[in-house]
Amino acid sequence: MTGLTENLDLLTPEFALAGLAFLVLAVDLFLPEDKKHLLAWLSVAGLSGLIVLAAVMLWGEDESLYDGLLAVDDYSLFFKIFFMGMGIFIILTSIDYVKQFLDHQGEFYALILFSILGMNVMAQSRELLTAYIALELLSFCLYVLVAYARKSPRSNEGSLKYIIIGAFSSAIMLYGISMIYSTLGVTRFDDISLALVGALEVSPALWVGIALLLVGLGFKISAVPFHAWAPDAYEGAPYPVTAYLAIGSKAAAFALLLRLVAEGFVPAIDRWDQWQLIISVLAGVTMVVGNLVALAQRNVKRLMAYSSIAHAGFILAGVAALTQDSQLASNGIMLYLVGYSVTNLVVFAALIAYFNISGKEMISDMGGLAEERPFLAACIAMGMFSLGGLPIFAGFAIKFYLFTAVAEAGFLWLAGLAIFSSLISLYYYLQVIRQMYIESAPQESPPESPATGELVGLEGIPRASLAASPSILLVSVLAIALAAVLWIGVYPSPLLDTIEAASRAILPGT
Amino acid sequence: MEWAWLIPVFCFAAAPLIVVFGERLPGKGAILSILAIGGGFVVFWVVLTAFLGASPASEINGTADCFTSEFTESLTCVYEHSWFHAADLELVWGIIIDPLTLVMLGLVTFVALMVQVYSLGYMKGDPNFGWYFAVHSLFAAAMLTLVLADNFLLLYVAWELVGICSYLLIGFWHERPSAREAAKKAFIVTRIGDVGLLIGILLLWREVGSFSMSEAFEAASTGAMSEGVTTAAAILLLLGAMGKSAQVPFHVWLPDAMEGPTPVSALIHAATMVVAGVYLVARAFPIFSAYDADPLVVVVIVGLVTALMASTIALVATDLKRILAYSTISHLGLMMLSLGAFGYTAAIFHLLAHGFAKALLFLGAGSVLHSTEEQDIQRMGGLRKVMPLTALVFSIGAISLGGIPILSGFWSKDEILAAVNDHRNVAFIVFALLTALMSALYMARAMFIAFYGQLREGMEQVHDAPWLMAVPMALLAVLAIGFGFLSFNWPGDYDGIGSFVSFGERHGFSFTWWLGILSAVMAVGSFLFAWQVYLKGRISLDNAKATFAPILKVVENKYYFDEVYQWVIDRVVLVFSRIIAWFDRAVVNDIGVNTPANSVRRLGYTLRLHVTGHVYSYTLAMVLGFVGLGIFWWFRST
Repeated sequence: MTGLTENLDLLTPEFALAGLAFLVLAVDLFLPEDKKHLLAWLSVAGLSGLIVLAAVMLWGEDESLYDGLLAVDDYSLFFKIFFMGMGIFIILTSIDYVKQFLDHQGEFYALILFSILGMNVMAQSRELLTAYIALELLSFCLYVLVAYARKSPRSNEGSLKYIIIGAFSSAIMLYGISMIYSTLGVTRFDDISLALVGALEVSPALWVGIALLLVGLGFKISAVPFHAWAPDAYEGAPYPVTAYLAIGSKAAAFALLLRLVAEGFVPAIDRWDQWQLIISVLAGVTMVVGNLVALAQRNVKRLMAYSSIAHAGFILAGVAALTQDSQLASNGIMLYLVGYSVTNLVVFAALIAYFNISGKEMISDMGGLAEERPFLAACIAMGMFSLGGLPIFAGFAIKFYLFTAVAEAGFLWLAGLAIFSSLISLYYYLQVIRQMYIESAPQESPPESPATGELVGLEGIPRASLAASPSILLVSVLAIALAAVLWIGVYPSPLLDTIEAASRAILPGT
Repeated sequence: MEWAWLIPVFCFAAAPLIVVFGERLPGKGAILSILAIGGGFVVFWVVLTAFLGASPASEINGTADCFTSEFTESLTCVYEHSWFHAADLELVWGIIIDPLTLVMLGLVTFVALMVQVYSLGYMKGDPNFGWYFAVHSLFAAAMLTLVLADNFLLLYVAWELVGICSYLLIGFWHERPSAREAAKKAFIVTRIGDVGLLIGILLLWREVGSFSMSEAFEAASTGAMSEGVTTAAAILLLLGAMGKSAQVPFHVWLPDAMEGPTPVSALIHAATMVVAGVYLVARAFPIFSAYDADPLVVVVIVGLVTALMASTIALVATDLKRILAYSTISHLGLMMLSLGAFGYTAAIFHLLAHGFAKALLFLGAGSVLHSTEEQDIQRMGGLRKVMPLTALVFSIGAISLGGIPILSGFWSKDEILAAVNDHRNVAFIVFALLTALMSALYMARAMFIAFYGQLREGMEQVHDAPWLMAVPMALLAVLAIGFGFLSFNWPGDYDGIGSFVSFGERHGFSFTWWLGILSAVMAVGSFLFAWQVYLKGRISLDNAKATFAPILKVVENKYYFDEVYQWVIDRVVLVFSRIIAWFDRAVVNDIGVNTPANSVRRLGYTLRLHVTGHVYSYTLAMVLGFVGLGIFWWFRST
């Protein structure tokens, strides 16, 4: 039992990150409109510094802060560096887009920084209410970011749906937390596991509470049937925000869920293991529905939304396979998160670059892209191959590792289902590639949105704001991310070593 | 020594850089490619020096990485890193440094360097100049990885990469139909052997539980792996080796492979690709020689048949590059013969000596082709007068390979003959001597007809090789003359090549006098005979040709191998393929794939409708989902 302010310096990266966000807001007031992009570079520089600071300061730390509310360990350090690194790349990919299509540039970057702060706290919280507050910080930033294209009705619609469902699920989650507290009297993860071990029987009120909690988290990771907001929000959001939803917010929710399950449920697995089956069923439904519905999509953002739902199903399968005596599943989840995020970064950076020059986002618009922009087409194609899980790309290594872990934990049916639905997913990924490489460029006529029948594509975007060619910045981001995809696909061992250290922090059992 | 992995990495890095930035680099990337292989050559020397300084009994021996191999009885260092591990599956990538790998590294880096410098001159002005060097780099990188690999998985990856690069280079002038056909033929024929190799590797993996070579060798020698499995694995590995090293009946691709640019032929024939098979057999020698060494009987027969058959064809061929190609096949056969007769050192020594001489010969032939655009030796003659340097180096290569004493080919061939004489019955030594005789004859024939005698009409304007092409040839010529001296017991510590590269007990230089004198007499005699026949015209072969016309026809048609293959493909393979194709279309495609695929797609389109766009239905789904969870849970817990 330590005092509340002891070891407070271990939170320096978080305080500094909050300070950085406020600094960006303040500087924004004094910068002329044409210099606003400097804010992005300020954020990037700040985040880079924070990554170094966190790595130097927190390496090998294993402390609990605020009487066990926050953990400063290798696990949270791993995710902190991961989130801030992803944040850097998201900001780099959005600079051109924000300049071309959005107003209020400064606040955009400040909001991203605040949301990263929320994600960092999510990864290190080991108590339900702390986690909830961090989650809300992330969610509020995202609500605003999704609505950032103020003039676009779709952006507003998507954000409104997102807010309503988000508020609904927050309420459900809070209700679940209160039911857990009312039956067990504790909210810390490790106390929950102790209480579960000690309890004579698991009362219905407890499992209702836990089910409610899972529903709330299921919304965040867009597990079926709590996923329906995702396609609308993904489609409506400005492109970089869509990328951020797919990469950042999902990974943060999994970081929280993984710690919750590993510290709260796994130690009591001998006494009470129904969560495994519940999560595995959720995982199975999510991957199958996500992949099936993706087959029918014609807008590439919606396609990526369903793709991300399907991938959430795969990762959930890893969560279901967590056991006390093996770190394989938790390694697999983290490896998958990294590989999946990096791959998505490649796809989205290329799609954003394409949008910046064309203003189009339908799959049918992408015909002939391989002729016009061979580099962009190649990046999208390699990203799609990786998402589909083909070898030499990250997608193969991470799927192989995670599915092996799922099978080792005894969920053979789930691993089989995962492989089967990966197979389905190849169809729609290859459709995009086929469109780019085999079909010729479409005639100039704005296509119709499948859902509403209204004209989409160049909505509200004057031609003058389109760029002539992808910027050097985006091309270099693409090159780096592509190299990372290949690196993880070919030689994942160094990354795995780091991940194993992070795993030991939450699963010390082995 | 652990830095040896850098050798292929330089070239691996160069290849994509040349493809991407080639247009902007000096020399369209060729300089980068040469720097990469040159860097590899420098690292090779550093590693070699470290290795020689460390052996045999220094402090490095017996550490975690280095030990004295129980098979080769020489210092062996293995450096491994984890590549990928998930649950019980552990894949490593690692390199092995032992004398066999070292000499191969030296050969590959040196010959590739020479060939690339030569190509600067030879390929000048080609529209795909940069691409040529990119693939060249990749080819060298793959081959270097192949000889460094310490496990079968990495070896197989490099093996296939070598195959792909050879396909790209043989088909480099893909606008020519014959080049396309040759590239396809090389790829497909070697693939047949590769399947055997893959099955063999998987068989070893199943028996041993890992891809590690040393564990497989251990299992074979201690009896952990049964005799049947060991023999089967050896034969399967041999299949792969036969494909890559162009042994009968898989030799048909190599003569056609000369459709690529001539420097590529030099590289394929001398340093990469074809020697991979010989290397594989040498590397896996513990598996071949385990138990009663039965697989080696197969090796020796395959080698002998190949050597004999190819050298007879080389005697009657008239295309300069084709003569050299069949000569390569014949010498590869000799190397296999030597391995099959326990002549491990002799095979590797001949591999090196032949590599330098053959690279030289091909570069010389390339020089001729470059300035005369002529490949048929019957339309050449007296080229010595217009291209003296090329004629000189070609003659050096020819008499070295022909086995004229004191040049390197003589010593290496003699070691093979000695090994065959010691370990196999008398029939083998007779046929081996016959092969050696023919080898001298066809080299003499090619050399005299093409370069000596009267200069042909219309060849007066022919120029000699530019210096970029001349320097590599001159360097290779020095090795073709002097490399053989490495086999002696020099004063000091050096006890001949046999004390460095060996399998089992070391042995210094030994000379079987009667064999040496016999083969020397035969070689000199062949050259004198050819001189009389082709240059002086004092002996006419017309009578002999008339007498043996039917046999000659068979040989000139290359024993009808291509025709038999064509017949088999047309009458058996294609008929079978059509049946399979029908089955595939009707049953697999329509019923097996399209029907479920269409239903899956329809299901997807139907399921899509659940996302209505209305918020209330989304929340309803969430509530129903929660209720579903609750009911499910309730059923589970009661």
